[in-house]
Amino acid sequence: MNASLRLIGIFAIVFIAAPLLIVVPMSLSTSASLQFPPPGLWLGYYASYFTDMSWLRPTWNSLVIAFFTTLLTMALVVPATFALVRHRFYGKSVANLMMLMPLAVPHIVMAVGYYSYFGDLRLVFSKTGVVLAHTCLSVPITFLVLSANLKGFDRNLERAARSLGATPRQVFVHITLPILRPSLTISALFAFIQSFDETVVALFISGRDAETLPRKMFDSIRQEADPVIAVISTLLFLIVALALLAPHAMRLTRRMLATASRRTTPRDQT
Amino acid sequence: MTAFTKRNGLLRPTRRRFLQGTAAAGAAALSAPSIARAQSDVLYVNSWGGPWLEAATANLFEPFAEQTGIRVETVSPVSFAKLAAQVRTGVYEFDVTSLGGGDIVRANQAGLLEEIEPTYPDGLFENGMGSHAFATVLAWRTDTDWQETPQSWADFWDVDRFPGTRSLQRYPARIIPLALLADGVAPQDLYPLDIDRAFAKLDEIKAHITVWWTAGAQSAQILRDGEVDMIGIWHGNYFAAEDEGAPVAMTWNQAEIERAYWVVAKDTPNMEAAKAFVEFATSAEPLAGFVTQANYGALNPAANAFIADAAKPRMPTAPDTYPQTFEQDMLNFGADPEEVSMRFEEWLAS
Amino acid sequence: MSTAPRSLTDRPTLWPWLLLTPLALYLAIFFLVPLAQVAWMSVSEPTPGFGNYADALTGTLFRKVMLNTFFTAALVAFCCLLVGYPLAWLMTKTTPARATAILLLITMSFWTSFLVRTYAWMVLLGRNGPVAWAIEALGYGEPPQMLFTRFASTLAMVHILAPYMIMNIYSVMTKIDPALIRSAESMGARGGSLMRHVYLPLTAPGIANGAVLVFVICLGFYVTPVLLGSPREQMAAGLIGRQIEEFLAFGPGSAMAMILLAVTLVILAVYHRRFGLDRLYG
Repeated sequence: MNASLRLIGIFAIVFIAAPLLIVVPMSLSTSASLQFPPPGLWLGYYASYFTDMSWLRPTWNSLVIAFFTTLLTMALVVPATFALVRHRFYGKSVANLMMLMPLAVPHIVMAVGYYSYFGDLRLVFSKTGVVLAHTCLSVPITFLVLSANLKGFDRNLERAARSLGATPRQVFVHITLPILRPSLTISALFAFIQSFDETVVALFISGRDAETLPRKMFDSIRQEADPVIAVISTLLFLIVALALLAPHAMRLTRRMLATASRRTTPRDQT
Repeated sequence: MTAFTKRNGLLRPTRRRFLQGTAAAGAAALSAPSIARAQSDVLYVNSWGGPWLEAATANLFEPFAEQTGIRVETVSPVSFAKLAAQVRTGVYEFDVTSLGGGDIVRANQAGLLEEIEPTYPDGLFENGMGSHAFATVLAWRTDTDWQETPQSWADFWDVDRFPGTRSLQRYPARIIPLALLADGVAPQDLYPLDIDRAFAKLDEIKAHITVWWTAGAQSAQILRDGEVDMIGIWHGNYFAAEDEGAPVAMTWNQAEIERAYWVVAKDTPNMEAAKAFVEFATSAEPLAGFVTQANYGALNPAANAFIADAAKPRMPTAPDTYPQTFEQDMLNFGADPEEVSMRFEEWLAS
Repeated sequence: MSTAPRSLTDRPTLWPWLLLTPLALYLAIFFLVPLAQVAWMSVSEPTPGFGNYADALTGTLFRKVMLNTFFTAALVAFCCLLVGYPLAWLMTKTTPARATAILLLITMSFWTSFLVRTYAWMVLLGRNGPVAWAIEALGYGEPPQMLFTRFASTLAMVHILAPYMIMNIYSVMTKIDPALIRSAESMGARGGSLMRHVYLPLTAPGIANGAVLVFVICLGFYVTPVLLGSPREQMAAGLIGRQIEEFLAFGPGSAMAMILLAVTLVILAVYHRRFGLDRLYG
């Protein structure tokens, strides 16, 4: 029983890892088609990504849209989360549910809505429209991350500061904000990535001047399977991998350095 | 701030009011489409991609920019619905597009096309200016174990003699005639189309069609990569795959010729440039360069004077080729194309 | 400054309303109104009335696609469980370092754009891809058609959604008291029976959570089935998208969208009554 479970578990690891890793050799392939093993290796498609405006422009658009989405989301969600976590009031559960609603609606439904609604507002095919839509979609995840952290916040720290004579503003600036900074950063990151990856709504409303990277990738995969997609896939995967591995790698090097220095100068360590 | 002056000076009234209403500082930086448009002389053309785009860029877009100072940007894919949607919403993604015979009738009936002046006599059809002829041809991989080579659409349907996977375009107006030919209908008797008979014939091949391609470049890619063994493909995309060295072959027999027309989107804000471009693109010399590079057949007879004989064998309108082919006849379709499309979708899902 | 507040929570003030209003207004204008517009289009285009709903529900196309959507979502949820449960279990059994490594891998997969992951499956399952290559190299002959089939889209969706399942189950498993397992073992529970009578019941909430989450997300999936699947096995979102993009059928498309939304909301509402929604995504 255990042995077979273990075997399936190992199989599951391969299942999860293989698709992530396969894009790397493909991005180095000389062949324009999806041929395995690659007939030869080169960096030509990397060069074409970094010189082709039809890829760089969507990349830039996506960064801009994700940036403004993050700003707008945080500006709206942070105060609301404070209200919901720290205050009791009539209609709170409804407000709570409202914050989560965008998570429950399939994106295709919203895409149809935005396509028509932003068409009326003349916002369709503009970056502004995409930002406004993405902000709605980013609200729930940002709220969940932030509220979970805010619930675990030790209010006694604030009370102590207040009893020592700090104004509410001082408490907020010097106590609350610094403590919450990591969770604010993480929830902002969630908002950013949610916007950067969002495909379905962008497919319908981003159009020519606001074309996002996922939309460009989707069109390209559907149409010609441009080998540059493998390059972008590799880059996107490497960014994620580096971001996740960097802290571990740093901890590891620090530990190694520490043991190394302990070995060379044992007496300095007390 | 340049962004700010842009916003004050050049926005259309409705948008300006809206933006000022919601005026977030960021809104200006997230420049809306019409800002970029009004600022520079750019014409947006809907692109078919692949070899079409390469030929159009070199022979139409670049010379046009040189002559007029108007830069051409492309938007893809070609979509009838996009054309309709932009007239409906008033937000234009492209000013000019080219449509095949099937879509142009539908588009003009729906009032989506601007009236234009003919560039050459008899070239105007449903508010579209005749540009070029292209063909849907039968092509296949040569690395299969078949004893014979396919000759006709009947062979496309013959999975015993030619086992393997197949692909057709997800576009009923183009594939229904092919099904009828496979069923033994003579090319001259095709129109009006017997829709029921065509669907019955399509039933036979359905299980073997592993890909319903939706974009020209995609059809070239699946043939080149060997994703399918036999395909109904536009001839330009076929030659693209052949030129890349893929083991493929094709026949002109029973090739389905369709005419493509340049059209101007109704009420586009870029009207003058759009009309100038259509005139340029259908005039003899640029058109000749375009069809020579992409192997299309020129619809403007004057263009033929500029086409080298060496370029002609790959054109569907070449003297030796044309008699083997047949032409689409959308005005004599035999049913409501819209209804046929819906029926086709249902059929696909069943 | 002289009066020390008893509590920051209990003051009856306007503060919560002030803090909430911007977001509430925003969601009303940019979330509820577009949603309402979909509802409105579904009963007003092309003619007023419930004809679009009647057509959708009686027509074969939508019914078939809807059934297929349910079937696929259930299949994907089940496969996610098959992949996720052993993996989560392995993580609790192996050394902490290995568990961290596996966790990292899952997080990496989770954060990698799902377009990238969809594309990766396209590469893997292509006619000339690694899987076909391996099948041929191992001497199993001509590889079958994999790309553009239900197999391909299901596999890719399982891969994309498995992290949700794994994280849900793993978080429940780590909370199981090892003493409980030890005492069960001391009373003679071994292997299969330990799994059935102790482990499975204890992890059931995680399984339920993960399954509902995967199922609901899968119901609305657009990109992966469109890119990897076959039109014969369309899913609801793909059909809705095509109604709008290809046929400009805003009315019928909106009606289908509302039905999909209703189904999703019913499932989530049932779940919400039992467990609470914030738990699901938390």
